[in-house]
Amino acid sequence: MSISTYTMPLGPVHVALEEPVYFHLTVEGENIKNVELTSGHVHRGMERMAMQRTLVKNVTLTERVCSLCSNSHSFTYSMVVENALNLEIPERAKYLRVLAEEIKRIASHLFNLAIQVHIAGFKSFFMHVMEVREIMQDIKETVYGNRMNLAANCIGGVKCDVTDELLEYILKQMDVIEPQLEEIKDIFTNNHIILTRTNGLGILPPEDALALGVCGPTARGSGIVRDVRRDTPYAAYPDLEFDVITEPGCCVHSRAMVRVRELFESVKLIRQCCNKMPKGPVFNHMGKIPYNEAFAHTEAPRGEVAYYIRTNGTDKPARLKWRVPSYMNWKALGVMMRGCQIAEVALVLNSVDPCVSCTER
Amino acid sequence: MAGFLKVLFRNLLQGPSTDPFPLVPETFTPDRLRGKVVINQDLCMGCGICSYVCVAGAINIEKREDGHTITVWHNSCCRCAACRQYCPMHAISLEPNWHSAHAEADKYKVIEQKTIAYEPCSVCGKMIRPVPEATLKKLYVHNDDVDLNHVRSLCPSCRQLEDARRSAGLPPAAEKKAVE
Amino acid sequence: MQEIIKGHAPLIDALTPLCTGEKAIKHTTDLYGNGYHWFRLDQSSKIKDAARILKGYQARLIMISAYSVTDGPEECKELCYHFDVEGIIYNLTVTQNREWPIVPSITPEFANADWHEREIMELYNIKVTDHPNPKRLFLDEKLDAGLLASAVPLSVMMNGASSKDLWERILSEKEQQR
Repeated sequence: MSISTYTMPLGPVHVALEEPVYFHLTVEGENIKNVELTSGHVHRGMERMAMQRTLVKNVTLTERVCSLCSNSHSFTYSMVVENALNLEIPERAKYLRVLAEEIKRIASHLFNLAIQVHIAGFKSFFMHVMEVREIMQDIKETVYGNRMNLAANCIGGVKCDVTDELLEYILKQMDVIEPQLEEIKDIFTNNHIILTRTNGLGILPPEDALALGVCGPTARGSGIVRDVRRDTPYAAYPDLEFDVITEPGCCVHSRAMVRVRELFESVKLIRQCCNKMPKGPVFNHMGKIPYNEAFAHTEAPRGEVAYYIRTNGTDKPARLKWRVPSYMNWKALGVMMRGCQIAEVALVLNSVDPCVSCTER
Repeated sequence: MAGFLKVLFRNLLQGPSTDPFPLVPETFTPDRLRGKVVINQDLCMGCGICSYVCVAGAINIEKREDGHTITVWHNSCCRCAACRQYCPMHAISLEPNWHSAHAEADKYKVIEQKTIAYEPCSVCGKMIRPVPEATLKKLYVHNDDVDLNHVRSLCPSCRQLEDARRSAGLPPAAEKKAVE
Repeated sequence: MQEIIKGHAPLIDALTPLCTGEKAIKHTTDLYGNGYHWFRLDQSSKIKDAARILKGYQARLIMISAYSVTDGPEECKELCYHFDVEGIIYNLTVTQNREWPIVPSITPEFANADWHEREIMELYNIKVTDHPNPKRLFLDEKLDAGLLASAVPLSVMMNGASSKDLWERILSEKEQQR
């Protein structure tokens, strides 16, 4: 019997996270020849909703594009409005914004790593990583008042000031979490199950990564030095010391290792923020809204988030457009999955940390 | 593998880390948790900035001749705390109360509602929202000689006249009640 | 005082001949000293030339934003292409109107323009020519392009929106309780 190709439908429920997207895998036996995907199940028309709401209201709306990078959306949105209005933000607000962003980054990376070992079949380690993530969840709930949506940012600064006692508390929790992160790093580096399932799987060569314009840990896992925090410095990042982590492996494991090592960079950034936190006001009021257009981008946990706004002198934007990291990274799956086996699809998919609700808005 | 066995054993000894809620009366609830919105009726002036910034449209202010009623429907509220941020009177707070389960039949009853009664201006008789005492104390902190209770009973335009009279060294205007 | 805005002079010089209109080029900076360069191309077809120039500078396409212009002399649609060269943002704007109704695809130059252009075609009903894979991205093939501009929001249909009707119901419920 000759080998024939067969198109295998996968979905609509996301095979890694519980989100709806269809995959059409062209397979030859067990091996994948081509990948196509159909999305659009959760297109909510949020950009249009934003055009019907005032600039202030959209801070809350954009925070609800996605749960894991919720803070990055309100952060970048506030930045793009500030650029359009030429509104300066207080020094303390810059540090508070970075603090919230890095707390979210640790929680987001740990979530992705947990899901990865979950797919690899290492359930007990999945439970452990999620348990460590609870330390970050408790910080978010104690400091900001919610486990996911921090409501930290507003146009002109931040809504949520963090008292000195809470900064102390965050520093104390960083001392608690750091040895546990070391342990997780050790297991990710040496564990036999993780290495056999992920090392050398889902290769994305640097030239493809550049051509497809992928961002975030997906790009850095292919050895590309690309981090908006370094390339287009914003908020307090120019004053803070951190490394841009890259891994040369181009595989699922090196993307995971980028995330693991970035956890420590985030801990470093949080410590610097707490120690260097300037005193003063936390937000400035908005001035007159001009006719203008502006662009802003930041580094969210999954990669670059970009916002474009057009203001028309009214309190509602004439156009608000944003692009999430997943939007760029989906296309790379076609390269990564070529030659993979069906059983590996979920692992490769999870390695780009995809988000359907982000992508479709 | 040994690395993880150590972790596994430690976690086993530690026991479960989840609270068996609702079998226990309370679970982890920090003081700053963003729960239900509470309005302080002593401070709310009914300016409406909260309903302007509320993306969910969860705040309604009904103005009448003799007062205003401010209503927050908890089922719409997304607890973003924008109202707390922009309220110039600091009249809105979010208390750490996350208990929001209710029967479907009661869905329109889960509200926070405060009615603020207006009083007539003691000079011209126009219905006004008297300025909260705490705010007056802040406004007149450098004017020890001012009778705050009297100022509180004045409408904005009568208060302006009053301030002008005081600056010019004239005695306060006769209260309407006294004239009658 | 003239501020110095970061940018690549040869790249700006190469893009300048494509933008001859009045105020077609502006340079801005944000609060952190990052440079943003804005170019308004003369015709929508010139985006192809601009894309080739940018490709030579290892530019990365970040996003394409489409929008309708309703307050100008003539109703039209515009596209703003955002490119990143070493952290500096180059924004190229083209207008799609009756005179220049066609926007060429830049997917052959920038592979990641694929999804952006497909989204623009279906949501804004803008014709992008020579797209290598002009299939629908989000909308079903059976639906007309640009349909969502006239569709009724689900939140309105399901009474989820905060309407006058909703508040009447909440406030009357309270009165019954009294």
